[in-house]
This record gives sequence, C-alpha cells and structure tokens, in this order.
Amino acid sequence: MELDDLKRCWEAQDSKLDAGLRLNTALLQATVLRKTRGALRWLSLGLWIELPLHVLSVLLFGSFWFDHRTEPRFLIPGFALYLAALLLLITAIRQIFALSQVDYGAPVLEIQRRLGGLRAEREREVLWTLFASPLLWTPLLIVGIRGLLGIDPYRILGPSYLAANLAVGIAVLAIAFWVSRRFAGRMARSPRLQALLRTLAGHQLNRATGFLDTLDRFAAE
Amino acid sequence: MTPTPDREQQRFLQLLDEHKKILYKVAGSYCRNAADREDLIQEMAVQLWRSFGRYDERFRFSTWMYRVALNVAISFHRSEARRPRETVPAGEALLEVADPASIAGVAADSDPELEQLHELLRRLDELDRALILLYLDGHRYDAIADILGLTETNVGTKINRIKQRLRRDASRVA
Repeated sequence: MELDDLKRCWEAQDSKLDAGLRLNTALLQATVLRKTRGALRWLSLGLWIELPLHVLSVLLFGSFWFDHRTEPRFLIPGFALYLAALLLLITAIRQIFALSQVDYGAPVLEIQRRLGGLRAEREREVLWTLFASPLLWTPLLIVGIRGLLGIDPYRILGPSYLAANLAVGIAVLAIAFWVSRRFAGRMARSPRLQALLRTLAGHQLNRATGFLDTLDRFAAE
Repeated sequence: MTPTPDREQQRFLQLLDEHKKILYKVAGSYCRNAADREDLIQEMAVQLWRSFGRYDERFRFSTWMYRVALNVAISFHRSEARRPRETVPAGEALLEVADPASIAGVAADSDPELEQLHELLRRLDELDRALILLYLDGHRYDAIADILGLTETNVGTKINRIKQRLRRDASRVA
C-alpha cells in the first residue's frame, strides 16, 4: 500500500467524520471550561507548591546568617543553605514565568523545543537537589540546632561528629549514585522508586536532552 | 469591541464544533487506547480554550488548532507520568459518535485499510507522525511548514523519506 492510497483512505473517512461526530458541548462547558478557570495546570502545579517553601527558606536562612554574620562557624553553613534556597527560588520563578509564556498556538517545533528545554532544566534541578541533599544535611543540622534550640551544635555534638555526618553524606551520595546506575530500569514494581532511580541515574535528564537533539535533527534534515 | 466572556465562549464552542474532527484525528493518531484518547481530547480542548485569547482571527482557525492539538499530543505522548484521570462521568465523552456505522475507522477497527494506516502511523515517531497526519489531511507543503515550523524544502524531503519508509513497512505488514 502506497502513502497516496492511504491518503485516499484518510480522505474517505474525513467526510464521514463530519456527519458522524458530535461535540458534547454540555460536558465541555461543565467540566473542561470550568476546570480551566480554577485549576493550575499540571506542569506548573509542582512549582507553585514549591514556591512558598522556597520563599520561607530564603527568609529563614537569610535571617540566620545575618544574625550570625560575625561567627564564621554559623555564617558559612547558614549562607550555604541561603544560597541553595535562593537558587531554587529563582529557578522556580523563572520556570513559572517561562511556562506562562508558552503559546501552544506557535509552531510545533518552537513550542516543543521550549517545553523540552524547560523539562531538561527541571530534571537538572531535581538531579542537583538530590545530589546536594546529603551534603546540605550537615549545615542544616547546625543551623537547625542553633536556630530552633538556641544551643551550640559544635559544643554538644562535637566537630568530629559533624565531620562524620558530612562523610556519611558523601558516602550516601556515592551509594545512591551506584544503586541508581545499577538498578534504574530494573525495579519496575515501584513506579515512584523507579522514577527516583531514573532521575538519580540521569536517565530522565538524558531523555529530555535527547528529545531536544531529536528536534534539532528533525529541523536540520 | 472586546467580546464578553460568554460571547467568546460561544464563539470558541462554535469554532471547536466546526473543526472537531481535528481533535478526533490527532487523538486517534497518538493514542491506541480509548481511555487515553479521551484524556488527550480533553487535554487538547482545555489547552485550546486556554490559548483561545491569543488566537489571531486573521489566520485560519484550523491551522492554529492543529498547532495547539499537535503540541499537546506530542507532550502527552512523551509524558511518562500520567496525570490523575479526569472525572468524566462513565459513558460520556467530549466527542461522541452519533452514528458509529458511519465513521468506521480512526478509533474503530472495522475498516482494515484505516486500521493498517493507523498501525503504520503509530510506528513513526511523534514528529514524523505529525508531519504525515498533516499531509494525509491534504495540507500543502507551505501550510505544513507553517504549522510545524520547518522549511518547505524540509517538509518535501521528509515526506518523501517517510513515503519510502511506509512503503517498506507496508510491504512487511501485507
């Protein structure tokens, strides 16, 4: 069968569709239109949920390092957490703005490139957050104990305990990386675990950037 | 004069009704499963309504609708994590088949030629599928280039290449 035969076949069913299809306008109005007004779209939903948390973190860590600006042992961990929170806040705002600017009525390649770029950026952010988490745990412990309880963590825990915490963080990171590389694609029973492993292994990011390459090839051929 | 929301909604519904088969054909080309097709039709309808404010009436509605529908379909097709299912009452669908006998094809499996056509379409990646869908729908190369954001020469080259591929695939299926 040739493509032109298929085209005739397609055209034949096209005229039938006009007569045979009915748009359920009542359902469209009752569900889709109403839902559109109030609901946030799924792509930006996660970002909107994260936004107040990032703002709160920036305020808390910001006030912490400012209050301890003369004490390097508190200033450094506080400032590291503040920078991380600020980076996440800026990224979330940038992504929400970029998503709001996406015009689905623009040419397909342009929009898919933009969406693909955003997806890749999001995956990169999630990956870096996952990798940074074990390393940020120790500064969080210091800031948390000092900020919430008002006591000196270096005195009650000791520098060696904090150094060990950091070492464990690095070890956890290395093990997580190894497990994700080894098992991503195999542990299909738990979709969430699978998604986490795929993210850690960089597969989600590769998939997103791979699609961008596909779009470039498609446009260039 | 700026249209009131109700009038704009009525205008949207009228245009959507006139071009509803685009939704049906795009969904049929990107989803094999009926529940996924209904989800995709809803996604496309929602996005069309959300984008309707940006629609420039100097251009053809069908061209704009194809752009939106294909953008949504490609994203839907690529999305691994499916959103929670829409709460549509059982047995209801946005696009209803008024007379099933009259539209054998697209989603139905009673027409072997159309079934074969859809089978071949599904073997193409999401971008080639969009291209061929527009070609089958009788769009000229310049219109396809405009919808997809390619050059006309590129469209011609790709269609010829896909024709050759489909010919090869069809001979294997036959």
